[in-house]
Amino acid sequence: MRALAAAAVGLAAALALVLTVTAIGPPEGTTSPEPLLTSAPAHP
Amino acid sequence: MRRRASLILLGVAVFLAALAPLLRWYAFPRLAKVPAGSYQTAVLEAKDATLVDYARMEPRTVPKVTLVQTLKGNAEEARKIRRETGRDVVVWDTLTHMNGPDGAMISRIPERYVFDAHSQQPVHAGGEHVDGTPVRRDGIEYKWPFLVEKRDYRYFDMQTRTSAPIHYRGTRSFRGLDVYYFEQTIPWTSVPLPKRMPLGVTPETVRQLGLERWYTTRRMFWIDPVTGAPVNGEEVHREELRWTGHPEKKPITAFAGHVKMRADYVDSTVALVTSQRRLVLLLTSWLPWGSAGLGGALAALALFLEARTRPRRAFTGQKTHYGGKTERQAPGKRAAWSRGGSP
Repeated sequence: MRALAAAAVGLAAALALVLTVTAIGPPEGTTSPEPLLTSAPAHP
Repeated sequence: MRRRASLILLGVAVFLAALAPLLRWYAFPRLAKVPAGSYQTAVLEAKDATLVDYARMEPRTVPKVTLVQTLKGNAEEARKIRRETGRDVVVWDTLTHMNGPDGAMISRIPERYVFDAHSQQPVHAGGEHVDGTPVRRDGIEYKWPFLVEKRDYRYFDMQTRTSAPIHYRGTRSFRGLDVYYFEQTIPWTSVPLPKRMPLGVTPETVRQLGLERWYTTRRMFWIDPVTGAPVNGEEVHREELRWTGHPEKKPITAFAGHVKMRADYVDSTVALVTSQRRLVLLLTSWLPWGSAGLGGALAALALFLEARTRPRRAFTGQKTHYGGKTERQAPGKRAAWSRGGSP
């Protein structure tokens, strides 16, 4: 019974971690202020 | 104490074992996406190219033609489309600017490409265009999906404004990376003229001269199979101005050249892709396999500890009840094997 409880806690923790991380997700970001280039830069 | 340790180990083992498939098949498809605000440039060059001189309407050989390509993620527009459609999209406003050897503009073609941030499939949310003309893509452009498959894809061609298969031609080694090589050939096709051309030439001017633009290309991409990002691109590109209704008249070569990515841009692209592929591999391979392996090892250790605990109780005659209490031993019945741990 205790083993089952320990396994359930482990499973719940894994689910909680993955669901939280995916819910937060990566940062959205903003549009770059850099222009659309019309000439070749000297270097990248 | 040993029993508690084995229970904790079992809990951690289950946590890690469950984490492995969850990371690979639940977290990765949701977390891996093209950033909405990405900004990338690429410079491609064609050495000893042929270019039309619009003043004399004659082709001439020039030492170098440069293509400057900018991809700019429009994060605000992506948010707006997500609110409207519920889909996580990326909106790329791009500009392909072609310059002659003197740096003067030869043509400029802006584009808007809207695609799913996770799958890279085109999303039809309005506003997609090539050079101001609305288009409806059914193929990828610029970037392949994450975890590229060894198969043909449909790739959008900006000049013809249609999608056609781009063929997988095998795995190659490129700057230390194993990459997938893709190739697409667009046969001679009549295509629209760019709206912006040098010397104030307009598509209408060219039409009035009785000319139309035809184009063929063979495009090659070396794609990192993990991120789906091109690490190199080349095109053998030919354009002609043909006399409308007069196939017997010799066409004017408008452009002919082998366009290759400039070496410093290849270096920077390879460096960028190498760093990005580590993040993808972390979610698809390293973390899932690592946690599965560690989970298995901890489960084995938990079982081992449990196995060591049980025989000792049996030999000592102790019986553990739920709640942690042990039965009191009868006087004089101390087991001889109780010391020294398990047999």
